[in-house]
Amino acid sequence: MVLSFFRAGDTGLDHVVTRSVAMVSDARHSFDLACTALLSGAQPKSIADDVRETDLRINANEQQLRGELAVHISVHGPNDIGEVIGLILLLKKIERVGDHAKNILDLAESGVSFTNEPDIDELLEERRAVSGFFAEASEILAEHDGIPEGFRDRLDQMIDQIQGRIDGYMTSDEPGHQVVPRAVYHRYLKRIVANLNSAVLAATEPVRVIDQAD
Amino acid sequence: MARPPGTANRQMPTGARAALVVALIYLFLVGVSSLEAGIKIMGADTQERLFSAVSNPIAGLCVGILGTVLVQSSSASTSVIVGLVASGALGVEQAVPMVMGANIGTTVTNTLVSLGHVRQSAEFKRAFAAATVHDFFNVLAVSILLPIELIFKPISGTAKWVSELLVGSGGTEWKSPVKKWVKEPVGWLKDMWDQFGASGNVKGALMVATGLAIVLVALALVTRNMKALVAARIERSLNAILGKAGGLVALVVGIVVTIAVQSSSITTSILIPLSAAGVLTLRNAYPVTLGANVGTTITALLAALAASSPDSLTVALAHTTFNIIGILSLYALPFFRDVPVIAATAMAEIAVRRRVLAVCYVVGLFIVAPLVGVAILR
Repeated sequence: MVLSFFRAGDTGLDHVVTRSVAMVSDARHSFDLACTALLSGAQPKSIADDVRETDLRINANEQQLRGELAVHISVHGPNDIGEVIGLILLLKKIERVGDHAKNILDLAESGVSFTNEPDIDELLEERRAVSGFFAEASEILAEHDGIPEGFRDRLDQMIDQIQGRIDGYMTSDEPGHQVVPRAVYHRYLKRIVANLNSAVLAATEPVRVIDQAD
Repeated sequence: MARPPGTANRQMPTGARAALVVALIYLFLVGVSSLEAGIKIMGADTQERLFSAVSNPIAGLCVGILGTVLVQSSSASTSVIVGLVASGALGVEQAVPMVMGANIGTTVTNTLVSLGHVRQSAEFKRAFAAATVHDFFNVLAVSILLPIELIFKPISGTAKWVSELLVGSGGTEWKSPVKKWVKEPVGWLKDMWDQFGASGNVKGALMVATGLAIVLVALALVTRNMKALVAARIERSLNAILGKAGGLVALVVGIVVTIAVQSSSITTSILIPLSAAGVLTLRNAYPVTLGANVGTTITALLAALAASSPDSLTVALAHTTFNIIGILSLYALPFFRDVPVIAATAMAEIAVRRRVLAVCYVVGLFIVAPLVGVAILR
């Protein structure tokens, strides 16, 4: 530990960004795994430990990295305050994504399964799209090149699409055991996409730029 | 991210900054040598007056506290003490209580930093405890070791023994290689004041003032540039000890970081916001501050290299010895180890209830008590 002073390595913020990319990968792993129980017939018991351990790891990383950001500000002063605020927000958003993945597992553990439902193909397609957003978010965080054009529009479209489904379930004449689990699942899905959206925004524009013309 | 993070502070290339630090250290040594030369020019009368002003060890201790509070750096004040000893204006016996005072005085900076958290009760409590644990340790160390030193001289005796091992015994002068390197610029300073028509005590006083200014400015710039050079390394070291390191590791990190930045105030002040935020516990911060006590003595040792008297090296080594013995006797022993922690926690409890007492504590310990001490005992 003392030798860490003499070793070369990532500086504080680079290190936090690298670790946050790993946290997004963990969150994606949790999400994909939880969805296999809900959509692909995997036994919730067989994946529960993995999902919960991953969630705990995400939470522990978030706490540790927040501490490292406090160290960064203490050592460097307020020069990087904008980026630090953005990274704190980013870490919180990733942690929430992990929580929602765990919520999907909880749904599966309570006995919900859409595996043999008529709309399963649509649900699987939706899951694939959301999972793809995780990969894109990781790339954006890792490459420091800002948000690619159209990415946030696609996220917004996905949020609108999911909200449309939730609205449909709320006014549906179908029995409660059909629509309620779907509404709850889509609520989690929406929060995951919204948090991914906020995460990349926090990383690229931590503090809103206020122009005189605004 | 829009711009790779962690690059905000690096306007100057690392190599150029490192060269600047070397040049500033050289300037610092010139300052110490100029201080010594100035006192020598001022003659025996002035030296006698300075000598008698701090002949009482408690008065010397108080002068050490006040001088360090004034410049907010024990590195600067102990370097000046080393310069005074080199000139013969101070003896080792008078200087040792003064360097002990410098240890207490240097803790004012992080205590002042902790007052910045005064509006948030929980934060203030943690910050004030983290700051005052350093105060309590240093006051306790002086309370126990100063009387022992006055009677048995274990600190100055050990320092003298090491000093003799390093530079030999018997002489009043030693041929420091650094002294040769700084001789010429000190000569230029003397010539400069000659050109202005200064002579005798006036010239000596001007040399002392120039030396002091050079020491303070050079040291401040060394600290600032070294911090910029090693900030990422400090960050990595602190991250490494957060919550998981033992006391010994934290202590060594405190030594290494303080040697790197040449300032214990920088090291201990970094800990305060971390403690306030709850990132660093009091027990984790405590050994880092003790390491800072040892690390900061490197500057006086450096200053002794530019001095001509082996006594100056003895005083610099006495500062190191005092801090090491302090740690061995008060931190290594479990009974004493918790005393500063308990005292700092209790003090923080009181301060958070009556915040005005926190201000009274700072003013009382660092200004009023030493002023009264000097006034009564000199």
